[in-house]
Amino acid sequence: MSIILGVLQESFIYAILALGVYITYSILDFPDLSVDSTFPLGAVVTASLILAGVPALFTLPLSFLAGGIAGTVTGLIHVKLKVRDLLSGIIVMTGLYSINLAIAGDKSNLPIFGQNTIFDNPLLAKFQGSKSADVMIVMITFVIVMIVKFLLDGYLKTRSGYLLRAVGDNEVVVIALAKDKGMVKIIGLALANGLVALAGSVYCQKQGFFELSIGTGSIVIGLASVIIGTKVLKRFRRIKATTAVIVGTFFYKACVSIAIAFGMKSSYLRLITAILFLVILILGSGREKKRAIGA
Amino acid sequence: MLRLKDIHKYYNKGTVNEMCLFHNFNLEIADQEFVSVVGSNGSGKTSMLNIICGSIPIDSGTIMVNEKDITRMPEYKRQRVIGRVYQNPAFGTCPNMTILENMSLADNKGKPFHLQLGTKKHRMDYYRESLKTLGLGLEDKMDVKVGVLSGGQRQAMALLMSTMTPIDFLILDEHTAALDPKTAEIIMELTHKIVKEKQITTIMVTHNLRYAVEYGNRLCMMHQGKVILDKKQEEKKKVKIDDILTKFNEISIEYGN
Amino acid sequence: MKKSIATLLITTMMAMMATGCGGSTTSTVSTGQKSESNSSKTYTVGIAQFAVHGSLDNCREGFLKGLEEEGFKEGENLEVLYENANGESATGAQIINNFVSKKADLVCAIATPMAQTAYSTTKNSDIPVIYTAVTDPVLAQLATEDKKPVGNITGTGDKLPIEEQLKMIRSILPEAKKIGIMYSTSEVNSTSAIAEYKELATQYGFEIVESGISTTADIPLAADNLVKKVDCITNLTDNTVVSSLPVILDKAKKAGIPVFGSEVEQVKKGCLSAMGLDYVELGKQTGKMAGKVLKGEAKASDMPYEVIEKASFYGNTKVANELGITLPEDLVKSATEMFDTIDTLS
Repeated sequence: MSIILGVLQESFIYAILALGVYITYSILDFPDLSVDSTFPLGAVVTASLILAGVPALFTLPLSFLAGGIAGTVTGLIHVKLKVRDLLSGIIVMTGLYSINLAIAGDKSNLPIFGQNTIFDNPLLAKFQGSKSADVMIVMITFVIVMIVKFLLDGYLKTRSGYLLRAVGDNEVVVIALAKDKGMVKIIGLALANGLVALAGSVYCQKQGFFELSIGTGSIVIGLASVIIGTKVLKRFRRIKATTAVIVGTFFYKACVSIAIAFGMKSSYLRLITAILFLVILILGSGREKKRAIGA
Repeated sequence: MLRLKDIHKYYNKGTVNEMCLFHNFNLEIADQEFVSVVGSNGSGKTSMLNIICGSIPIDSGTIMVNEKDITRMPEYKRQRVIGRVYQNPAFGTCPNMTILENMSLADNKGKPFHLQLGTKKHRMDYYRESLKTLGLGLEDKMDVKVGVLSGGQRQAMALLMSTMTPIDFLILDEHTAALDPKTAEIIMELTHKIVKEKQITTIMVTHNLRYAVEYGNRLCMMHQGKVILDKKQEEKKKVKIDDILTKFNEISIEYGN
Repeated sequence: MKKSIATLLITTMMAMMATGCGGSTTSTVSTGQKSESNSSKTYTVGIAQFAVHGSLDNCREGFLKGLEEEGFKEGENLEVLYENANGESATGAQIINNFVSKKADLVCAIATPMAQTAYSTTKNSDIPVIYTAVTDPVLAQLATEDKKPVGNITGTGDKLPIEEQLKMIRSILPEAKKIGIMYSTSEVNSTSAIAEYKELATQYGFEIVESGISTTADIPLAADNLVKKVDCITNLTDNTVVSSLPVILDKAKKAGIPVFGSEVEQVKKGCLSAMGLDYVELGKQTGKMAGKVLKGEAKASDMPYEVIEKASFYGNTKVANELGITLPEDLVKSATEMFDTIDTLS
């Protein structure tokens, strides 16, 4: 398999997660750390459902739903119990760890090798023809991420979507519209975590197993993708933010792959990510801040 | 009709820092009144607006709107009948959304926010016409993000947005204070026009005594949580800026300022 | 400003690559050596390790030794690509992808999640995977009940010799009743080991007291609580617990109860004794399997997975003296290695 196919597979799957992070981080301005646990939540829900004989395609909406519930909990803790945003995410992240374990039947590893998944089923085999399995995976993940992208784009153009953007932009306006800003935040968090769990579901089906630790570092991947995408592609006004996020995920995953391919010690990976992160953040947001103050 | 009855509001109650803001405060505002409120800093003008809007809770008393008790109603629900423009032009609009999107948001106030399209094509002309009345050329920049507009342009939009749908009260919280004199003049003229056209009951807090005298049909002066001057209709027309200034000086001497 | 962003991005990426070349653990075979041993081609083996861990490092060391015994020497006819995923699953998949794109002749995956990732990622290539340190290949669905591989993948299991460990504890502590085991709930190997301990304990007159933790930070409290309830503690190969071994040893020492290890490294660090696996040995066995596959003598898809049959005894006399416990003579005689110091550094 060429390295590019591998990077594409990885980045399309993580782009779904990044779109979720985009909702919380960029639109809602809510640093949601529960992502590290909602990603494995989607995976464990998927693995258990598949093992229970549920058709693979159904696991996608069900994982989305599970993630949505988790996001709602984060939102309720923040809005109704008035816990700070960062802490609400941490609380849910911590609690979900045990819930994920419980869903897996107290096992931290659930293999689903040999089961029918969205990447490996008899129906798909008919369409495959001469294409290699890796190309198929790229195509399937691409289709999923595109569906998610267009649905999200569409949603952001609805009245409800406008309100979501408004709440992250200026809460006062939402109050002035006689709308409960707390409710809007909860909807946003539910949506975002639903997408993250959906990414977990796709990832689990591609890898063929659920492992409790697969969420480790996913918030970093998500944030890095969103920031790289939106800041680097900012100059192209015509590119939609959602597209930028997907491209950003590809950039990030490609960087990681290049680093590994050049034999970089992977223990330095996180440090490099952190530096890359910081550089883009400083250069990207420095100007906006100044403009906002100047206005 | 808005009625504030026996309002009590203390800050830091029960501590050494206890501060009485309102003690037995009463105010009635009739329909279609345009009340200008003046007063020194800390006299309770903005707090009164916050109490009306529900931004700060009160210790006791009742707030009635059209004979309905709204004392316990959460802030956001009260906004169904209230439009508010703040001193800070950034408060009234969403900077990262375009002018068109901001207009659509305001237009949808009072309607359910479900999955219908946020911007309806057939309303575009209406938005363009409304923006044209501002005379700021915003109608040609519908797809520009509000964040890049000047303070005056944003404030004009905020005013337009808060009065786009039918409301009972317009609350103006020193809404010209952060603008340069020329822009302030434009915004004030615009306010006058809109209020007159839509016949909205209006409460305007201002430090500009000229505006307070020139605009509106009622003038209130507040001091230490009390209305110490209240002139309506014909009486108000006779009030001169100098009269208010004299009153200001009086209370200053009285309280050793 | 925009330009400077782009420049910085590129510079950073270049820096990443530069660091890569400088700090690389990858040994690239120079072409000069290739011509010396022109009789055979140079093989590329990608080693993917899930996390930094003493036992897993030993596995890797043993694996290279095993390959060497089969005639594959690093720097001569063997190029080794080594990557560590640092416990991040996403990185793991990219590491394997990299090996596949570099057309490695064989992938060695160390630890269960890495083996599973390697299996699914290489599925569509013809690269064989040899795993090691997978506790239960059947449970991980890498092999069927009769030890047959599920694909082009085989290796060695590191299931603990639990029964031998219980026997050993019984012979050292004839009076003991309760054995405490600390484990992290997130490690699949630990949960299955606990189940087996519980099943076998009664035969030797023991009762197992388990203490599940979720992070390293839970360990001090859990240890305080556990030492009060039990006569001794025995360890699993649990990564989280083993990494905090000094804390547990300290608490146990204050309570005057012995801690048994599950492999040689733990005994070196101050556990009384262990009936355990020698991970270097396990790695060596894995390396030999890999050697056979590389030579074409066997196919990974045909080879059943292997386990180390015999448990080896390791004891620490210094710890025994400190606790006032005499290790039974027959055990000491059978010991693979005895230590008389406590290695607190490594």
